Amino acid sequence: MKTMGARSFILYIFGLGFLVGLCVFLYGIVMDGGNWAMQPFNKHLTSGSQLSNGGEILDRNNVILAKSENGKRVYNADETTRRAMLHAVGDTKGYISTGIQYNYRSELSGYNLITGLASPTGKSGGSNIKLTLDSALSKLALQQLGSRNGAVAIYNYKTGEMLCMVSSPDFDPSNPPKDLDTDKTGKYEGVYLNKVLSSTFTPGSIFKLITSAAAIEAIPDLDSRTWDCNGSITIDGNKITDVAAYGKLNFKNALAKSSNVAFSQIAIELGTQKMTAAANAMGFNKSFDLDGITTSKSVYKVDGAKANELGWSGVGQYTDLTNPYHMMLMMGAIANGGTPVKPYLIDRITTQFGLTTKSGRTQMDGQFLSSTTADRLKAYMRYNVASYYGDNMFPGLAVCAKTGTAEIGGGKNPNGWMVGFSSDTRTPLAFAVIVENARTGMSSAGQIASTLMISAAKTIK
Amino acid sequence: MALNNPVVKNIIYLVLFIFRIIVPFISLAVVIKCFSSLKRGRRREDPVVILEDMVTHEVLPVLYWENSLGRSKSCDIVLHDATASRDHAVLMRRESGWIVTDTGSKSGTFVNGTKVQGQTQVFPGDTMAMGSTALILKRTSDTNQIKLKNSVSRQAASPFGLLFSVTFIQLLLCIQACFSGGKFSYMPTIPFAALFVMEWGLYLYSMKGLGRVSFELETIGFLLSGIGILLISGMDVKSTYVQLGAVAAGIILFSIMIWFLSDLDRVMRWRLAIGILAVLLFAANLLLARERNGARNWINLGPLSIQPSEFIKIAFIFVGASTLDRLQTAKNLTGFIGFSAVCMGSLFLMRDFGTACVFFVTILIIAFMRSGSVRTIALVCSVAVFGAFLILQFKPYVAQRFAAWRHVWEFANQSGGYQQTRVLSYSASGGLFGLGLGNGWLKNVFASNSDLVFGMLCEELGLLLALVVVFSLAMLMFYARSDVTRSRSTFYSISACAAAGMMLFQTCLNVFGATDVLPMTGVTLPFVSLGGSSMVAVWGLLAFIKASDERTYAARRKSK
Repeated sequence: MKTMGARSFILYIFGLGFLVGLCVFLYGIVMDGGNWAMQPFNKHLTSGSQLSNGGEILDRNNVILAKSENGKRVYNADETTRRAMLHAVGDTKGYISTGIQYNYRSELSGYNLITGLASPTGKSGGSNIKLTLDSALSKLALQQLGSRNGAVAIYNYKTGEMLCMVSSPDFDPSNPPKDLDTDKTGKYEGVYLNKVLSSTFTPGSIFKLITSAAAIEAIPDLDSRTWDCNGSITIDGNKITDVAAYGKLNFKNALAKSSNVAFSQIAIELGTQKMTAAANAMGFNKSFDLDGITTSKSVYKVDGAKANELGWSGVGQYTDLTNPYHMMLMMGAIANGGTPVKPYLIDRITTQFGLTTKSGRTQMDGQFLSSTTADRLKAYMRYNVASYYGDNMFPGLAVCAKTGTAEIGGGKNPNGWMVGFSSDTRTPLAFAVIVENARTGMSSAGQIASTLMISAAKTIK
Repeated sequence: MALNNPVVKNIIYLVLFIFRIIVPFISLAVVIKCFSSLKRGRRREDPVVILEDMVTHEVLPVLYWENSLGRSKSCDIVLHDATASRDHAVLMRRESGWIVTDTGSKSGTFVNGTKVQGQTQVFPGDTMAMGSTALILKRTSDTNQIKLKNSVSRQAASPFGLLFSVTFIQLLLCIQACFSGGKFSYMPTIPFAALFVMEWGLYLYSMKGLGRVSFELETIGFLLSGIGILLISGMDVKSTYVQLGAVAAGIILFSIMIWFLSDLDRVMRWRLAIGILAVLLFAANLLLARERNGARNWINLGPLSIQPSEFIKIAFIFVGASTLDRLQTAKNLTGFIGFSAVCMGSLFLMRDFGTACVFFVTILIIAFMRSGSVRTIALVCSVAVFGAFLILQFKPYVAQRFAAWRHVWEFANQSGGYQQTRVLSYSASGGLFGLGLGNGWLKNVFASNSDLVFGMLCEELGLLLALVVVFSLAMLMFYARSDVTRSRSTFYSISACAAAGMMLFQTCLNVFGATDVLPMTGVTLPFVSLGGSSMVAVWGLLAFIKASDERTYAARRKSK
């Protein structure tokens, strides 16, 4: 029987297999249990819709943006506020995948490993989430956009708090239109996208800031150089044009007047390598993360581009694409000496028992550009506003900014951009505004930026 | 009766939640107590008798109930004698006393000078001669050369206490079931009462009637069966009636098998008949079965539908296991492998892929324990791999069953992943303590109370209790393994290991299939899943493990 004892060790192989399998399952349920439970088909969460029994979402002033009542998800009483906050908060069905209600559904539903979705008292055990967003400012942003599509992003570049994140087109989450998913005319195109985080647009002239940064680093006598801007320049048989003939321009006026002739030549002079290096250092071709929500990548790709294409890329055309959140972050970087404070959206998550499980805090992101380059760029941008756009747009805020009018072709009107920040330390606000189908950047995005900065500065002071 | 008062309702919620916290901890305590008692109750590896060499007066302790004697180092009693055969003889302890059998030695075995033919009784003082060695059988008390190990108490855990705890667990679960779905119903008390009668009936029969000292394995069986039945009662009380009948039938089978297994000569005589019966049962299955859910493994006998393959599992172990003297004389596995091939072939014709896997693993365990030959195992495995390859080659639709494996979320609303994603989602929803009996949603998914029962257990009663259930099934196997050299015969050792290994492997297929760790095969979770034939059969399998416990037949001898 001794040999039987030895041979019986074969059973340990099965025992080991059992333990391995069990570990795979337990590892899964511990690491991923929240996602497993948060399925649209899970009837413990839904009675037809998600989050029928979830925690509250509040703005920075404790205005209730969403809560659950009697097994239904209800939103803020004001329709414009509901629409303005739609993309940040998310919809009831969870189609807006960058919304808080989707990304933090396990926190809101009260899922945890110990009790799952069970609640000993029979009531919702979900956490409440307080956002850093200002719903009044967001409402104003949506009112300013009006019927136009676009995106607005504002954050405090000293603390990192996101104050405004609005995307249009939108819909009312309390009364979703019946034709939302069946419409074929395109009026709801991109309605589930938060354009601040998930869209990219042709940048146009705002890209000249990147070209400028590259030039500051690479051209030592930049400020003593001049460019002849006679309305157009032909490179390899392709004509690059300006709105008007500006004559001889030094660098700071070339930026202020936004001369394509000057900047395309600078880009060609710098070459693909230096341009690509500067763009990559300033956050192109990579995505960012806002409280676990991933943003779309801005694109700068000039491999194999011809000289005229490189020229166009230097003025924000060609294949260039930028993401509004990234542009806002870049403004934060320039304002903050080259290294931005990382933005955050969630002020804190508090469980039903009052325990704070997550709270937002100020932390630095990676460096975008050197502090000397940032400070010189900041001075040029300040000059833009002071001498061209007019400080009466932003009274008392010492705003540094750049506008852009991006041609998108296809017979459509251009995209209007304005990006910038207040250099006054009492109002550390950075913004990025884009309006689709606009005439010029100044007339569209510029007006919205002006109104919002004035309003935001009042609340922050 | 609806519970309308919100305050009362909340208090009930809270109390039921507390019950769900208590249940897994008591269950775990019962399981630990059972297995520690089983471990304590194993026979100590002290010498049973001794053999003394007549010439050298060397004392050879006889440690086991069945001992091989021979020149080979793997023998239990090694004869340092060039004239002895490698495996010369087997010395066995039986009810009647000590028996020696010659296992085909060249020079023969002699007891008091008479050549051994078949089984020959040996008494203390008798001389056994093998080759040029002569050994005298002596009692351990006849010598002081052997030191006994410090005796540890073999006192079993109080069977009354164990069963009482199980009844208490069942009472808590029954109360849960009564309040399922926010309404009160007295219906779940019916299965509770039936369980109560059965478990205390068996207790009285075996403790008072048969005078046995241990009840640990039966306790585990009742704990698991009770959890399964009360889980189903939260869904539909009527469907527990068949299951309760199956437990009753299982207990009867368990008792009959323990009686039957007590006489190994009888078992060995009936082995061929059992094997033929199993083959006939397969044949009947193939002829009579109607296809159900893609497999043809059911036959209808009047109002009952029976799954013959479940019972063939028991027959399979009967045929596979063997006493040591027969293992020594019949070394090749041809008969067993042939029988296995017939079983596997029938299962493939029935398209019962899951059961075929369970049989295959049991074949591996039995074949290895009988032969100890890695080469045989490698051969069996390579034949299986080749067979699997052929099946995938000629029946490509089989491969489709694996398409969703490890990708179930991509198939969440299609046939390949629908069930698994529901199991995962609802298991996670249950947390550690569950959402309450009858409050789950997984019960609406097809096969929720059989193939997916692990998910239902997690959802309604919590992950902790589900883990206690699978843990106790794993412990059965580890117990069977640790008892191998201490049972009364290699027949019991092999059959217990095969039965426990079979149950654990079936547990793996069920649990891991439902949770997408392994492909879904559709086998039952022993004791817990709804399924009459399966329930009866696992009690039969439990009898093999019970028989390997030396104490099972000790009381009977004392009472003689």
